[in-house]
Amino acid sequence: MSSISMEKSASMGLKDLLGYLLDSDKVDSVLTMRRIPETGAWDLALISDSGNLGEAEPLAPVMTVNAGKELSSLSLSGKRIAAVLKPCELRALIERVKREQGSLENVLTISHTCSGVFPLEQAADGSMDELLPKYEKVSSMGEIPSSVRDTCKACQHFIPMDSDILLSAAATQRPGEGCVLYLGSEKAEEALKEFKGNRDDRVFDPSSLDRTAAARKKERDRLFTSMENDCSGLDGLLNVFGKCVGCHGCSRVCPICYCALCDFESMNFDYNLPYFEEHLSRKGALRLPADTVMFHLGRLTHMSFSCVGCGMCSDVCPVGIPVAAVFSRTGERTASLFDYVPGRSLKEEIPVMVFKEEEFSDLG
Amino acid sequence: MISGEEDRMDAAAGTPYMLRVENGPEGSVLELLGHVIGSGKADALILPFRVPSGDSFAWILFSDVSLLKEAVPFPATMPVQGGKALRSLTRKERGNLKVIALMRPCEIRAGIELSKLGQVNTENLILASYDCPGAVKLEDYVSDPASCDSSFSDMRSRGEPSGNVRSTCSTCMDFSMVDADIHFGYFGIEDGRMLVVPGSPAGRALLEDLNLEEEEGLLPQWKAEISRLAEKRAATREETFRETEKRISGFDGMLATFSNCIGCHNCQSACPICYCRLCYFDSEVSGNDPEALMTAAEKRGGISLPPDRIMFHTGRLAHMSLSCVSCGQCSDACPVSIPVADVFSFVAERTQRTFEYKAGKSDGEALPLRRFLKTELDGVHDMVKDAESEAASHE
Repeated sequence: MSSISMEKSASMGLKDLLGYLLDSDKVDSVLTMRRIPETGAWDLALISDSGNLGEAEPLAPVMTVNAGKELSSLSLSGKRIAAVLKPCELRALIERVKREQGSLENVLTISHTCSGVFPLEQAADGSMDELLPKYEKVSSMGEIPSSVRDTCKACQHFIPMDSDILLSAAATQRPGEGCVLYLGSEKAEEALKEFKGNRDDRVFDPSSLDRTAAARKKERDRLFTSMENDCSGLDGLLNVFGKCVGCHGCSRVCPICYCALCDFESMNFDYNLPYFEEHLSRKGALRLPADTVMFHLGRLTHMSFSCVGCGMCSDVCPVGIPVAAVFSRTGERTASLFDYVPGRSLKEEIPVMVFKEEEFSDLG
Repeated sequence: MISGEEDRMDAAAGTPYMLRVENGPEGSVLELLGHVIGSGKADALILPFRVPSGDSFAWILFSDVSLLKEAVPFPATMPVQGGKALRSLTRKERGNLKVIALMRPCEIRAGIELSKLGQVNTENLILASYDCPGAVKLEDYVSDPASCDSSFSDMRSRGEPSGNVRSTCSTCMDFSMVDADIHFGYFGIEDGRMLVVPGSPAGRALLEDLNLEEEEGLLPQWKAEISRLAEKRAATREETFRETEKRISGFDGMLATFSNCIGCHNCQSACPICYCRLCYFDSEVSGNDPEALMTAAEKRGGISLPPDRIMFHTGRLAHMSLSCVSCGQCSDACPVSIPVADVFSFVAERTQRTFEYKAGKSDGEALPLRRFLKTELDGVHDMVKDAESEAASHE
């Protein structure tokens, strides 16, 4: 597999690549972060006219929506799409493809090493612009920017797994000094046949990011220890999730939660008065609406082992519950029992979809 | 004074009662509610309680009166709209138990709108409200409950919204008596006493035989204070709506206001009126299938994702602004601080005024879109004619 180096910033290099893919009709559209010209707001854009790439900000450290979630639905159209994805978005896409919610057939994935994203509030109120220079400086030194989502600071999978193209952006060179595209598949080789740049057969060396990985691990241990202390037992759960207002925004923005009608919003959880009255006579009191904590337990059961830790859930929570920390940690612990890492490989089957005659025999 | 509120106060079902509240209104109100349960006139209550972490509140339906002392009848903030709580309980049918719910005026109004929409069954439900100075923004409350409790207490004593109160509270004209069965009035009445106003025969029936004192001429001072506060609110309302109108005018205005929207639909979830299990904008008929989106991207050179976010807000306005009670839940729920409630409360005033309809009244008036009038909105016909002739003149 080859690599292509360009004497331009990572962002410019990516934009050139996207323009090339559109102009040479290798794809029908490209998916990238964009800055809305009229208002300066950020969004995810599906662009099919390379003339509109001026608005693109493919490496913007912001996530208004998990792009893996959006891409997976679009990929079912059969049209060809090249998508710039953060590592967790790529993993989310893989998890969705496993659930038949997307297809990789006509998708060219472009990913990059990631230093984390700013919380939505900061992207929306303009403070992200002020903090960006420091973010770039800190991440180029392999350190963790202080202003990103807590799950970003603790993320262990900030190097993309298995994308068609990997762009090296963080910690390997100073911003503006040049970038390298590592081609990881036949699909990528074929698509970039005519793309201009200096070719050699360099291979991406993740060890250059070992220092960052160590810092992230430390932060992860700190975040999860503190979270486990707060969240343990029923009392802990009630303490952390007690102020949930039941908006279900967390599940709505979650890339793994794909159900058109969530079980918890269906008739299964729509109680009639006799249920309430019977409950009341037994317990003396109950909360309205019901099943506040149950919703989270259910969601944990349904999807936590596929949680990619993107942090969208915590970011949209109106009361600041650290949903992502809880789900990411629980997911990691359950997935590890199966030696499973969500999004690592399409070949790895979802643990609950696999029947093994002999499993967890020590539990018996 | 707001037209309607004066009438409502006068039409109150008989003479109001008085409650002595020397040790603070909370304790006396809870004691009163306890007596109602104790006397068998009601079976259960819906009141706010602090959540375990202490930084928010939850609605609790309870029949065990020993829990009363932990209830917080006048919470500083509104995490879950009371209308939504009522919806979760009584949507399907009337209950066997008689339940009293003590909520803010806008929550009562939402409950009444929902009953017109078939989502709340008010039989066997007694709605009680109280003079409301506003609700503190949820995000602010969660980050500093103690200081918000204190600023709310201050707001209550002055009867005015201030500090980190929701912006829709500052423009709210329905902060006192609404169409509840019972209303607790205290603005403008000196410490130590509170009015308990029956708003309906059901409310009066509940309060009779509780040996409550009749009010000693407190009505005039209360009404005068409500009037005074209403005038101030009316001025703020007019000014705020003028600003909002400018801000959202035209597509550019809508784009500027909703540009940061990420399509999370928290506003819709938090809204007491939005009850659809499957929102139109999530359904197949809204044209968000992959093929349609890819085609749109090719035709236009690009599209924004998730798709149709401004359309969602426009659609939600069309669907529910006639029932909007301007409670402000939507703004509080928004993760990117879009002033959704300011927009919706302004548009709601306009749409409701157009149909001479006021959301939240239980006077038997049908929802405008559910009644057919042979002659209606005469002016629209002329507007369409003018627009057509103008379009023709440009061809």
